[in-house]
Amino acid sequence: MEQDKQKGAPGGSIVTARGLERVYGEGEAAVRALDGVDVEFEKGRFTSIMGPSGSGKSTLMHILAGLDRPTAGTVEIDGVEITDLDDGELTELRRDKLGFVFQFFNLLPVLTAEENILLPLTIAKRAPDPEWVDTVVERVGLSDRRSHRPAELSGGQQQRVAVARALVTKPAVLFADEPTGNLDSKSSADVLELLRGAVDEFDQTVIMVTHEPDAAAHGDRLIALRDGRLVHDAPPVSADAVIELLKTLA
Amino acid sequence: MLRLSLKNLFARKWRTAMTAIAVVFGIALVSGTYVLTDTTNGAFDDIFVRSNERIDVTVTRQEQVRQFDGSVPAFSESYLKRVRSVQGVEVAQGSVFATGSILNLENESTGAPFAPQFISSGLPSRLSSIEYVEGRKADRPGEAALDLEAAKRGGVEIGGRIRLIGSGPARLFEVVGLTQLGGASFGGTSIAQVTLSEAQSLTGREGRFDQISVGGDGTVSDEELRDRIAEVLPADLLVETGQENADRQASDIRDGLSFLTIALFAFAAISLLVGSFVIFNVFSITVAQRTREFGMLRTLGASRRQILATVLAEGVLIGLIASGLGLLVGIALAEGLSALLSVFGAELPSKSLVIAPRTIVASFIVGVGVTLVSSLIPAFRATRVPPIAALSENVLQTGRTRLWIRALVAIVLAVIGVALIASVLVDDIEGGAGAARIGGGAVALVVAISIFSPRLIQPMVRLIGIPVRAVGGLTGRLATENALRSPSRTAVTSAALMIGIALVAFVSIFASGLNSSVTDVIDQNLEGEIVLQGPGGFVPIPPEAVREAAKVDGVRAASGIRFAQIKVAGSGERQLSSVQPDTVDQVIQVDWAEGSPRALAELSGDKAVISQGLSSAERLAIGDDFRVLSPTGTRTKLEVIGIMASGNLDLLGDIVVAEPSMLENFGVAEDQFALARVDSGADVEEVKNRVADRLDRTNFPTVEVLNQEELKDRQKEQINALLALIYVLLALAVVVSLVGIVVTLILSIYERTRELGMVRAIGMSRRQVRRMVTYEAVITAVLGAIAGLILGILFAFLMGIPLEGEGFVLSYPIGTLALILVLSALAGVLAAVYPARKAAKLDVLEAISYE
Repeated sequence: MEQDKQKGAPGGSIVTARGLERVYGEGEAAVRALDGVDVEFEKGRFTSIMGPSGSGKSTLMHILAGLDRPTAGTVEIDGVEITDLDDGELTELRRDKLGFVFQFFNLLPVLTAEENILLPLTIAKRAPDPEWVDTVVERVGLSDRRSHRPAELSGGQQQRVAVARALVTKPAVLFADEPTGNLDSKSSADVLELLRGAVDEFDQTVIMVTHEPDAAAHGDRLIALRDGRLVHDAPPVSADAVIELLKTLA
Repeated sequence: MLRLSLKNLFARKWRTAMTAIAVVFGIALVSGTYVLTDTTNGAFDDIFVRSNERIDVTVTRQEQVRQFDGSVPAFSESYLKRVRSVQGVEVAQGSVFATGSILNLENESTGAPFAPQFISSGLPSRLSSIEYVEGRKADRPGEAALDLEAAKRGGVEIGGRIRLIGSGPARLFEVVGLTQLGGASFGGTSIAQVTLSEAQSLTGREGRFDQISVGGDGTVSDEELRDRIAEVLPADLLVETGQENADRQASDIRDGLSFLTIALFAFAAISLLVGSFVIFNVFSITVAQRTREFGMLRTLGASRRQILATVLAEGVLIGLIASGLGLLVGIALAEGLSALLSVFGAELPSKSLVIAPRTIVASFIVGVGVTLVSSLIPAFRATRVPPIAALSENVLQTGRTRLWIRALVAIVLAVIGVALIASVLVDDIEGGAGAARIGGGAVALVVAISIFSPRLIQPMVRLIGIPVRAVGGLTGRLATENALRSPSRTAVTSAALMIGIALVAFVSIFASGLNSSVTDVIDQNLEGEIVLQGPGGFVPIPPEAVREAAKVDGVRAASGIRFAQIKVAGSGERQLSSVQPDTVDQVIQVDWAEGSPRALAELSGDKAVISQGLSSAERLAIGDDFRVLSPTGTRTKLEVIGIMASGNLDLLGDIVVAEPSMLENFGVAEDQFALARVDSGADVEEVKNRVADRLDRTNFPTVEVLNQEELKDRQKEQINALLALIYVLLALAVVVSLVGIVVTLILSIYERTRELGMVRAIGMSRRQVRRMVTYEAVITAVLGAIAGLILGILFAFLMGIPLEGEGFVLSYPIGTLALILVLSALAGVLAAVYPARKAAKLDVLEAISYE
C-alpha cells in the first residue's frame, strides 16, 4: 500500500488513449464505433463513461482494457503501450494489472466465494497476502460467506464478490462494465459504495461504463460519448444533472 | 415442423456429423458382416455347385456325430460294384478326399496359414468339373495335379516336385497339371490330386472311399436314380442327388461360419450400445441448451406433440444419415474385414461382393431404431419445457425424473440383468439363445449402472481429481469441478467408455487365465518332456512318426493320444480320447477321484476311464456300463474302471479308452499329439533335436517337435492372436465412446462460453484453458476406465467360478490392466485436443458481450 501511494501521485496519468479509432466491418457496411478519441485517466480517480446505445462506450472500455484492438491509435496503461502486445502478453497484463467487474457471469459457479476472489492470484500462481485478502473480504462484507458457492449468494452478494476479486490483485485499473445493471437499488448502492471506497480508501483507479445516472453520480469524473466521439468531460454534479446531460446527447 | 428439424440439423452440421458417427461404426459392422457372410456363403455355394455340376448322384457315409475337423469316416469300396449294377447308372467312380499336407521341396507348406489342405483322387472327365489350366490329369503313380493357387504359393511349376503327407510318411510326386474350379478361389484351401490307389494308400484308406460319384445315362431323373441306388446300399450310407449334396455341404459350411457372424454381430451390438449412450447424451445436452428455444416455440403455440416430433424427427434424420453412411462404410469394410480375418488365419473365399436387400433394410432399421430410442427420453424432456422459459434470463432446469424413480428403474434393471446372465450359467443354455441372454443381461446391467452412477460419480471424480489437482493446480481443480457439474452427463459419457474397457479387461483377464491354466496343465499333467504335434497342432500326426520317435536314443517312451467326438446315450456329445496303456503312465499324470491311479495303464478292450463331470452327470460309478455311439455309427458298451478328478482342463476329454479300441470302435487311426519321455539323466534338448532329425530323415517333415516351454509359447501365441482380433473389434466401441467425450466436451464448452470469457478476461492464459479442458477429458476417461476395469474384473471373477472345477485358474494381468488405465488417460488427452483448442481460441470479447 505504501508503494501504491507513492506511485499514485495525484495528477499522474495511469491510462492514456490517443487517437483511438475502431471500425467494424468494411466498405458500405462499415461502422465507426470510435472516431478519434483522446482521453487520459488519472490515478486514484473514479471515472464513469456514459452514452446512448451505439455511442461506443463499451468499445472504448474494451479497448482500454486490452480486450479489443483499436483500428488506429494507441493505449498506454501504467507506462506500457498495450496496442502492440500479443495475446499472451495481453493476458498477463489483464491478469497482473487490471481488475474486472462485469454485469453477468462474473463468478465461476463451481468455486466458493473465497476461491472466486483468489482466482486471479491462483491463475497467476501467486501466493495471496492473507492480510490484504482479509481486508478486502471484510470491506465487501462477506466475511461470513467465504465458503458459499455463487448459487447460494444473492445477486448483490455475487457482485460484491466480483469487486473483491477485482481488488485482490491491487490492480493498476479496475474496469467495471455495467456493474449494477442487473441489481436492485439497494444492492446497486452497495456495489457503488464499494467502488467509491476502493478509490477513497485503497487509492484504486476505477473506470466504469454505465447507463444509470445514479451510478455515474458516484464518480469523480463523467465522460460521455456520442457516435464514437468524446462529447462531455466534467465532474458529475448530481444524478438529475446527468439525466439532463443524457437527454441532450440522445 | 420437419423443416425446423432439418434446419436445426443443417445449422449444427458439425454436431450432426459427430452424433451420426456414434452409430456409423455399429451399422458398418452390421452391414459389413452381412456383406461378408453373404459373399462368403455365395462363394462356397458356387464351389460346391460347380464341383457337382456333372455329378447326378453322390454316395457318402452318413454322419453320426460331427467331428471337430469336419471329417466323415470312409466306407468300403465294395459298394461301388453294387452302385454300378443299378439300372440307369452310366458311370460311377469312388474317390478319396482327405486332409493331408502339401509341401514343396523345401518342406514349406503350399497352403495359406490355417486353411485346410486336401489329398484327393481325380474323377473321370465325365464327372469332373476341374479345369486344367496347364498340363494334364495325374494318371500314373508318382504324378500329382495341384491347384493353381497352391502352386503359386509354393512356387511349384509343371515338372516340379511336391511332397504329400497323409497318414504316413511324406512321398514325392511330380506335378503334371495345374487345376482350378471355374476361376473360384477356395479361400486358401489347397488340393492335390493323385491316382486313386495312391490317394488311398497315402491317406490310410486302403480299400475304402470317401465318396462314390455317379453319372446317370439320362433315362431317369436324378431323384429316381438316387432312390434306386439307395435301395441297394445299407442305411449308414447317404445317397443324395448332386444338387442335394452341394446344398448340404454349403449349409454345413454356413453353419460352421455362423459363429463368426454371431461374433461380429455381437461386436456390432456393443458398438451400437456405446453409440446409443453418446446419442442420448448429445440429445440430452442439446435439449437442455435449447430450453429457451422450446419455450419460445410453446409461446408461439406449438403443442407438446409438435415439440416431441421435432426432436424425434432430428433423431430419425440422424439415424438415416448414419445408416446410409454406415452401409457404405460396411461395404468397404467387408473387404477389410475379410483381410483382417485372413491376417488372423481365417481366410475366406472371395468373389464380387454380395449386397442383399436384407443388408440395406437391416442397416436402416437398426440405425434409425437405435437413434430413435436413444433420443426418446431427451425428446420427452423437451416437451416439459414451459412457455415461460422463453422469457427467463437464466436457463431453467427442466423437470428431472425423481430420484426414487431412477433408483427403482436402476434396481429393476440390475436384477433383470443379473437374472438373465445367471440363468445362462445355471441352466447351461448354449448357442445363440445363451449369447442373447448374456448380451441382454449385460445391457440391462450397464444401463442400470449408468442410471445409478450419477450418485457414485461424486466420490470417484473427487478421488481421480486428487492427482489431477496435484499436477494441475487450479486448472486441475476447475476441471474436477466441471466434471462434477452435471454428474449424469459425465456419468453417461464415461459409461460409454466403461463398456468398451470392461470388455477389454474381461477378455484380457480371461485370456491370461487361459494362458496360466494351460501352463499349469502342461506343468502338472505332462510328464513327457517332448511334444509331437501336427502343423499348428490342428492336423493329426501319423502314428508311424510316434513309433520312429520312440526308437530315438534317449527316448524312454513315446505315446500317442487320439481324439474322437462321440455321443453318450442320454448325455449328448462328448469328447473321447485314447491312450497307449503300455506307455501312458510315463508321459501323462492325472489326478484321480476314484479308482486305481494306474487305471490308464490298465485300459483294454471295452474298459474306459471317465471324467468326474461325466460321472456325476450320468451317475456312473466304477464298474458301471454305459453306451456310446461312434462317428461310424457303431454302438459300443464301455465299462468304467476309473474316474479322473476334475481340474485337468479336459486334457483327455470325458472318456478315455485304449488305442486298439479307438481304432476298432471309433475308426480313428491318427494321433492328435504325442508325448515322449526322455531317459533319466538325458539332456532334453539333445534328445529333442535327435527326434526332430530322425523324423526329418524318415519323411515326417510336418511333425513339430517341441519341448514343454515351446508348447506353452505356441498355446499362448494362439490365444494372443485371437485376443488381438477381439481387441481390434472392441477398439471400434472404444473409438465411439471417445467421440462421445469429444462431443460432450464441446457442448459443455459451448455452455460455458461466458464463463470461459470471464476467466480469460481476468487473466487466464490460452494454455491454462487448454489444460483445464484436457484435464476434464482425462478425468472422464479415467473414470470410465476405472469403472470398466472394476466391471471387467467382476465379470471375469463371476464367469471363472463355474469353470474352476475344470481346472481353470483366473489370473489377473496387472501390467495389462495398468496399461489400459494409462492408455485411457492418453485417449482422454487425445479426445480433448479439438475441444481444448476450440475453448482456447474463444474470442474473449465475444464471449463476454451481451446479446
